[in-house]
Amino acid sequence: MCELCMKHGAGGRWYLNARHYSNEIAERYNLRDFLLEQYKNFEQISVRPVYGFTAEGLDYRLKIPIIGRLIKSMAERMLHSTRPPVNPFRAEGHIGQVVPLEDGIAILEECAAEPIIEKNCMCRYMSRGVKEACCINFGVMSEIVDRLPRFIPEKEKYFLTRKEAVERFTRHNRKGYIGTIWFGPFPYINNLCSCENPECAGIRPRFDFGIMSVYKAEYVVAINTGQCTGCGACVQRCPFGALKIDVSSKTVSVDYEKCYGCGVCRHVCGSGALSLAARDDVPEVRGKY
Amino acid sequence: MLFGRKNRIVIDYALCGDGKGVDPRECSRCLRVCVPAVFLLHQTLGAREENPFDPQKWRVTPLWPSLCTRCMACVEACPVGAIRVCER
Repeated sequence: MCELCMKHGAGGRWYLNARHYSNEIAERYNLRDFLLEQYKNFEQISVRPVYGFTAEGLDYRLKIPIIGRLIKSMAERMLHSTRPPVNPFRAEGHIGQVVPLEDGIAILEECAAEPIIEKNCMCRYMSRGVKEACCINFGVMSEIVDRLPRFIPEKEKYFLTRKEAVERFTRHNRKGYIGTIWFGPFPYINNLCSCENPECAGIRPRFDFGIMSVYKAEYVVAINTGQCTGCGACVQRCPFGALKIDVSSKTVSVDYEKCYGCGVCRHVCGSGALSLAARDDVPEVRGKY
Repeated sequence: MLFGRKNRIVIDYALCGDGKGVDPRECSRCLRVCVPAVFLLHQTLGAREENPFDPQKWRVTPLWPSLCTRCMACVEACPVGAIRVCER
């Protein structure tokens, strides 16, 4: 189990601990006002200076010896913060984890607070200028989104029943979108996203710059080589470049270090050769989230 | 140079964004053609809107220049020629 589960999972996975979804937590930290303030000007958050640093050009600064490490640890301290959230203009306590389809469904069926809403993904809007409804919100967050017209999908129904939310999440996941669950801010969970790499603002710092902004899933992919036909569809599907095909022997191999355990590769496998194994059961990546 | 060559992406905000030029929310061609998604579409910082629920002043910032491959797709795609990509 990852660090978050150890600390906040109450014996299980942190994102399956229903306490984190409760309205009671939202009330205790006055998150209604906090989140409204944050989302009113949400698209400014990436360019606002934090501790004197703006994100613009931060990528080069991260490469400077010592200073780069300092910036990285400051960013991580902010994202991993467990103090009561105070500044809505920073991504304080905004830490998430990749979840495969099954865990996403479990969240929607058992934990998510109502009302459940599906809003336009802000990451895709900010990085591509497109509005795509695929970001599922819960509880207090849903009420806030309902007040901000630019996040509301024009065509689709956006207040969802649990069953509809499961259907939508499944559809996105099968399309190849990576399921992720987020504290926003800690200790309140209100976002189940269907992300893409490189569009996702949460995956980007981790994937491109090694900042711990999102944990890898509790799983890694397992390949049954006997069943694999070597078609290579999964290699194309993997958003993290973790799968590789050896053309001459027609075998697929996985780079465990690169695998985020999102499980979207399984949806394109026609021979059922791909499954998920618990990360902690694979010695190479045990404890590496 | 100490840390190698750097990409420099310059956007002319007189031609695009800030409520003056092309509205990047309507155009967003550069955002879509960029393979590594270097650009960020966002509200202009400090813009005080009459109605904060519907902000009007938006611009595009090249947020992650280190990931730019200098393919020049954005330069070609920009209808008003507001983007310049160079090295420094």
